[in-house]
Formats: sequence, C-alpha cells, structure tokens
Amino acid sequence: MRPRAVIAGALFWACTRACLAASPAPDPDVILRQAFDHYRAGTSESRVVMTIHRTDWERRLELTADTHGHDDALVRFTAPAKDAGSATLQLAGETWVFNPRLNQVIRLPQSMLSRSWMGSDFSYSDLAKSEDLLTLYTHRLTATRLDEGHAVWTIEATPRPGAPVVWGKVAVTVRDDWVIVEETFFDQDFKAARRMTTDKIGRLDGRPYPVSMTMQPLDQPGQWTRVETQEAHFDIPLPGWVFTLSNLQTPRR
Amino acid sequence: MLAALAWRNLWRRPQRTLLSLAGIVLVDALLIFVISFMVGVYGVMKETTLRIFDGYAQMQPAGWADDPTLERGIAHPLALVRMARAVDGVTAAAPRVNAFAVLAHGPRSYGAAVVGVDPTAEARVSTIAGSIVQGRYLVPGDSAAAVVGEMLARDLGLAVGGQVTMLGAGRDGSAAADVLTVVGVYRSGISDMDRAILEMPLARAQDDFDMSGAANTIALGGRSLEAVNAAAPALRAIGRRAGATLVDWAALEPALDQAITLKWATSMLLYFTLVAVVAFITLNTLLMSVLERQREFGVLLALGMRAGQVGAMVWLELLGLALLGAAVGMTLGAGATLWLQQVGIVIPGIEHVTAQFGMPERLRPTLTPFSLLVGPLALTVCIVIGGVAPWLRVRRLTPADAVRIG
Repeated sequence: MRPRAVIAGALFWACTRACLAASPAPDPDVILRQAFDHYRAGTSESRVVMTIHRTDWERRLELTADTHGHDDALVRFTAPAKDAGSATLQLAGETWVFNPRLNQVIRLPQSMLSRSWMGSDFSYSDLAKSEDLLTLYTHRLTATRLDEGHAVWTIEATPRPGAPVVWGKVAVTVRDDWVIVEETFFDQDFKAARRMTTDKIGRLDGRPYPVSMTMQPLDQPGQWTRVETQEAHFDIPLPGWVFTLSNLQTPRR
Repeated sequence: MLAALAWRNLWRRPQRTLLSLAGIVLVDALLIFVISFMVGVYGVMKETTLRIFDGYAQMQPAGWADDPTLERGIAHPLALVRMARAVDGVTAAAPRVNAFAVLAHGPRSYGAAVVGVDPTAEARVSTIAGSIVQGRYLVPGDSAAAVVGEMLARDLGLAVGGQVTMLGAGRDGSAAADVLTVVGVYRSGISDMDRAILEMPLARAQDDFDMSGAANTIALGGRSLEAVNAAAPALRAIGRRAGATLVDWAALEPALDQAITLKWATSMLLYFTLVAVVAFITLNTLLMSVLERQREFGVLLALGMRAGQVGAMVWLELLGLALLGAAVGMTLGAGATLWLQQVGIVIPGIEHVTAQFGMPERLRPTLTPFSLLVGPLALTVCIVIGGVAPWLRVRRLTPADAVRIG
C-alpha cells in the first residue's frame, strides 16, 4: 500500500473519530422518537413469520400486520391452519382479540396485556410498541460507538417517578439510520430480564429495517421468539375500516 | 432427711408458701391454656385455609413453583394419583390443569385462573364443592360446564345457565378457546378466590389447553394435615419416580407459615417474660426467707450440719415449691383446656378474621404434650437454676457469723 493512501486512511479514521467526539451529544429523546417513528412509520403493512422456540418444540406462525401511528395495529394469523384467522386489534389503547373457533371478539382486560401473546415471548403490550417508553421514561445517552461506519447510541430509559410501568429500566441501542439494534428490559431490581436483538438489518420498501429480530427471556435458556419481516410497505394509505371491530371479525380483504 | 426438713420448712410459713405457689400455679395453668389455644387456632387456620383449594400438600412438576406454565406437566397423572392415594394418611389426590385465560360474557371480560378438575377427587380435597351458593358443583360426565366464584360471576354478569367464553393459550402456544355453561356459583369466603377462579372438567381442560392427558398439579387431602405431613417421605419417593416434587403446606402458603412463625416468636417472647417475672418473684421470696433464717442456719451449722447440706435444703425447698406448683398448675391448666376444647370459645368482634381464613366461629384449644409441658418446664427450670443464688449465699455462712447476724 502506498504511504499516501495509508496517511489518507489514517486521516479519515482520525477525522471520523474526532467528528464523533466533537459533535454535540445527540438528544436521546430525539433519537428514540426517530427510532420509534422509523420502526412504525405513519402507516405500515407487513408480512411476518414468527418462530416460537422452546426446548422441546418449535412453532412457525405466519401473520400479516397493519399499523397506523403508534396506537392502532391489526395482526391476523394466516398459518398454520390451527391458528389461521386468529387476530388481534389494538385501537385507541384497547386490545381486542378474535378467535375463529369462537367466532367472537373479546376485549382483553388491562391485566392481560402483560401476558404472553399467542404463546410467544412477546406480550400484548409489546405488540403495540406503545409510546410508553417515550412518554413515561426519562432518557440518558450512556454510550456512543462506531459500528460498520454507523454511529450507534445506547440510551438508558428510567421510569418517571410514579409512572405505571412494568420495567425498572430499559436500555435501547439505536443506529444512526434509526434502526433499533437491541433492547434490554430490566426488572424492578435492575436485573436484565429479557433482550430483543436485531439479527439482520435489510432494506424493506427502500428503508433500512430490522428484518429479523429475536426476543429472549434471559431467565429461560433455550427459549426465544424470532420475528422475520418478509415484506413491508410504509406510509401507504390505509382505509379507516381496517382498524375496526367489524374488520377484526369479518376481514374485508 | 434434707427433703423432709425442706418440706417442713415450706409449711412453717404457710401463707408465704401458698402465695408463691399461687403465682406458679396461675402462670403454669395460663401458659398451658394460651399455648394450647395457639396450637388449636393455628392448626384450624392452616387446615381450613389449605382445605379451601391448595390441599394439605401438592405434587408439582419440577420448577412449577417458580414458573407455573402449562408446559410443566405431570405426563401420567392417574398413575401418580393411584400411588399417592395408597400412602397411609392420604385420603384423596386430585389432578388439576392450572391454566389462565380471558373469560368473557357479552361485553365484559376478565382474566382468571381456569382449573380443570376431577369433580369426585376435587370434592375430597377442596371445600369449593361444598360452597356452592347457586346451582350445583361439577359432576362426573359434565363436559362444557363450569363453576365460577361469586364475585367473578357478578363481575361478568353471569348466573347459572349462562355461557362464558374462555380464550387462553394452550400448552403448545396455540389458542385455547371454548364456550362453557355455568352450572354453579361458589362462595369460598376468600375474595381473591371468588374473584379469580373458574373450575371446569379435567378432560375438557386437557383438550382445550392441548395437555395430551397431562396435569399440572395433584392436590392431596388426608385425615389431617399432620397425617399428610407424616406421609411426606413416602410421597416424596413416589413423586421422584414420576418426575414430580412434593410441595408441603408451608411452601404452598408461605405467607401463612411466616405469619404463624412470627406470632409464635412474639408470643413466646411475652410468655418467657412472664416466666422470668414469676421466677424472680419466687426467688425473691426465698431469698428474703433465707435472710430471715440466718440464726436458724447458724444453729444448724453449730449442731454439726455442713454448710453445703444447709444450702441443699434451701434449694430443695425451692424445688419442692416449683414441682408442687407445676403439678397443681398442670392439673388445673389441662383440666380447663380440655373442657374448653370440648365446648369451644366464641370471641366477639373477630368475625372478619375467621371469615378470611374460612375458620369456624367457635375456636378450640388443642392440648398437646408440647402445650402441656413447655410452660411448666420453663418455669421450673428457671426457678431451679435461679435457686443457685440463695444456695451459694447459705454455703458461705459460718456458725458464728450466722448466729451473730441473725
């Protein structure tokens, strides 16, 4: 390698490090807001495969998900046959489930929201990717690093005094293209309880996106749930009837 | 001869002796009664609490206590039920599926525990079958049937004949959905239970929750809690062979166990204070009598009795007093306790506490060797040990000093 190239390379590296160090510390509130907006977009429509892994069995479920803003979401299972037709609707803070065998819509009581969703390691509250983390927690930037040319920020979120939240602390790692790389949830004793890791970042509908994510309860070795987004469209017009109880029970499309 | 002298000395001042004796008798009798009462009340409290739902002990899959998920199951519950019932002291073994689901009726929905039960075995372990206030309990042959707690029925707007929709997750994570007809409503008196438990037939629960014939727990009933506790080693061995763990009453109801332990600890502290006070009063009386009798001791020493013998005589006086007091106290205490054990005691104003634990209104003491002996033994030992002080004092006496002081 020619000396000039080496010097240029070294200068570039030094400059990047210096720029990272010299640039004013980014606002953790803004980073989290951007990351959440990026993940959900204004509206989204996606096709997802969810794999639930246990020590003695594994299930693979297919589903479609429509979202609108941070509050509304409709998830409908398409496979396997045993679960096809089951659907969950989150609408204005309420969660409704439809079961084709019962042919009935049931409103989930608040006490059920922290329980497992369809036997996975996600809870009904996770489904909404609700804004709680943005509104009920205070945020602090705890680390900044470089990874494959991206700045990666780690933000520690601690509940505001008296906030009605489950977790004692949440640590979120966000890349500078607003992809959430990792999310660790700590219990009230500040012991890490579960971790969601982005296994693969790809491009979906023209934007960088965590196409494969795994949620793992840390006290249950050998147990995890992986969510792989196979297809997604963002910021598309979704008709108002998508997020209605009648569409939950009788799909219009 | 020393004992005869000591006995004679005791009755030279009958009034003082009788007063000391009265103190000892009263405390011994009182301790026998209160300790028997605690044994009786806590025994009933434990048994009634456990009989509502838990059972006197349970067989559980390994790790169930920390993580009660459907995946943890006993694969062949009926074989384990048969083996457990064959153990002496165990009279019933009830296999259960312990799930959780959303229950809905019309627009109302609540999360609740759904317990799959074998109606016949369950009725022998839990008192819910006998607490039906509307309709009936489950019977063998029932399928899409359920009994619900009174408060849960009220919250859901359900009555006998109504249909409740159940939606939960099965053992494999798939949806567990069913519609059940309410055949009965129970009132256990424990609001947490009446608000949160639905019971349905075991076989249907096993189907709904994809259990493939497995159960999550087996609740055990017996002649008494003591009998089941005594059967624990045999049950543990049976459980081990089937991959299940025996969980005793204290692990099933840790809060109750700890509350009782705390109450015993504080009460025993109080009783020990009582014992110490009476022991000191008795010793003080004896010490005064020793001081008054210096001249007498001097004469005895001058007549050739050794100081050690005089000391032993004084100590025997105390021993005689303590033993006589214990004998009379135990007779009176045991008699009164046995009588109250027959007739029971009603304490007005504690209805809420008794209802909370599902206890009878009339409480009864239980006389046991422990409750009979612990109080009198503690007091006698205290007095006898404390008696060393006057004995040492007498031993130091010389005839000349004693006669002069006296």
